[in-house]
Amino acid sequence: MHNLLRAYRGLFRANVAIAFTYRAQAVIWMLSFVFPLVMLAVWLAVVDQAGPVGGYNRGDFISYYLVGAVLYRFVLMGLTYHWDHEIRTGELSVRLLKPLDPFHYYLSEQLGWKVLDLLILVPLALVAALLIPGVHYALSPARLLAFVFSVVLGMTINVCISSAFGMIAFWTTQSRNLFELWSGIGQFLSGFIAPLPLFPLFMQRVAAVLPFRNSVGLPVDILMGRVGWAATGQGLLVGALWALGACMIYRVLWRLGLRRYEAVGA
Amino acid sequence: MHAYLRLLTIFYRNAIINELEYRLNLWSRLLLSLFWLGWSAVGVSVFYVHVDRIAGWSYYELLVVLGMFVITNGFRQLVLEPNLSQMTEYVRMGTLDYILTKPVNSQFMVSLRNLNIFSLNEPLLGAGLIGYSLWHLRHLPSPAAFALFGLLTIAALLVLYSLNLLLQTLTFWLVNLENADALVGSVVEAGRLPVAFYGGWVRWALTAFIPVAFVTTFPAEALLGRLDGRIAVVAVVLAALLLLAATTFWNVALRSYTSASS
Repeated sequence: MHNLLRAYRGLFRANVAIAFTYRAQAVIWMLSFVFPLVMLAVWLAVVDQAGPVGGYNRGDFISYYLVGAVLYRFVLMGLTYHWDHEIRTGELSVRLLKPLDPFHYYLSEQLGWKVLDLLILVPLALVAALLIPGVHYALSPARLLAFVFSVVLGMTINVCISSAFGMIAFWTTQSRNLFELWSGIGQFLSGFIAPLPLFPLFMQRVAAVLPFRNSVGLPVDILMGRVGWAATGQGLLVGALWALGACMIYRVLWRLGLRRYEAVGA
Repeated sequence: MHAYLRLLTIFYRNAIINELEYRLNLWSRLLLSLFWLGWSAVGVSVFYVHVDRIAGWSYYELLVVLGMFVITNGFRQLVLEPNLSQMTEYVRMGTLDYILTKPVNSQFMVSLRNLNIFSLNEPLLGAGLIGYSLWHLRHLPSPAAFALFGLLTIAALLVLYSLNLLLQTLTFWLVNLENADALVGSVVEAGRLPVAFYGGWVRWALTAFIPVAFVTTFPAEALLGRLDGRIAVVAVVLAALLLLAATTFWNVALRSYTSASS
């Protein structure tokens, strides 16, 4: 455990440095930030025209998208792309010779990106929250704790699921495309596109039992004080079950895939 | 002119043949672009769960703008973006010299040489979405409206092409402009929706400063038969001026260009 921590510290520092100099992911970065702004602009037009929508007024919408857009950047994980690349090119073989599970290299690289994101986005969001009238959050120690817990669950789910999709690369070349499909569906059911309570009821029911909600909708709702403690507990429980399930699926696929990979490589 | 068309045919045929080797991937990319089309259409429908019209636009009228967005954004990803990202490579590696020594127009080569065939179907999907929306609206545009729409679409594509060429030219000085396509992409993103949806100064900026309104909203309005004729004149003049400016800028920049390899 101690060794792993030390390895992470080294990898992490290296990857933060890489993230700062090499900004190839900028495309996704910018787009994922503009889209929520576009959605917000339309909601504001709707509120101006017809009054509050589904209990959301001007300030509520701004508060929602402000945290939601930052969270989405932070919680989203793209480990599928690392796995897919290294498995297809065979670079995984070199990784396997090293003492650390390849997973840790990819994860620490992703986390390096997250630090970059946070250093830029959190100050921006804080300034915006203070300057824009009507932005409000229900801040209490208990809520903040639940918020952090929900975000950690969301990250864990995304780490394991994006890895599980990466494992598909052992069998077909389509892992990235399948993950893109999954992410696109997730943008609806996570609350990235719009607050979940504004969607038709059946979609809310579906979202409540799927793993996406812990990424955006649930943590933002907790922070804004829009969910009671019972609903919060329920959401966190669903998230915890998915985190456990996703990580187990990923590890099982990893074992199976590795056996197959060695068979091909030999 | 004829020779240039032949060159384009050869370039693009090669691009297609290259990707046809990975047929499974091509099919799944095509399916995915269909998915993203549905994603966009369903995504904006969430507003219409709560209101019937936004700033005078009904859902299916909005889908006409969205269809126009898919067409123009598809064109950007198909032709503009691959050439813009290639430009960085040309300047950094000094391979631009090879292009300059070829007996063809250099602007033609840097701006049209590459093609991303994964986006080949997007203009068609966009046209399909527009057709579907018009059918839902029970609205058959008059021949004049179609002609106006065609004119404005060409103007829209020229506007995008010119802005892209301006960025390509800037690469001479700001070699590392790889993120430029992200910048263009995110500005164009605002064209998903009619400019009337945006408040005050944003709407103004999207019309006058960054001409997103000319790329999606105005052509869609032409098709819906509610465009002010004067706007069409402005669109044509704007496209012509931008094209002229971009071409001139390219030629001036080329003269002051000193290669990385010499």
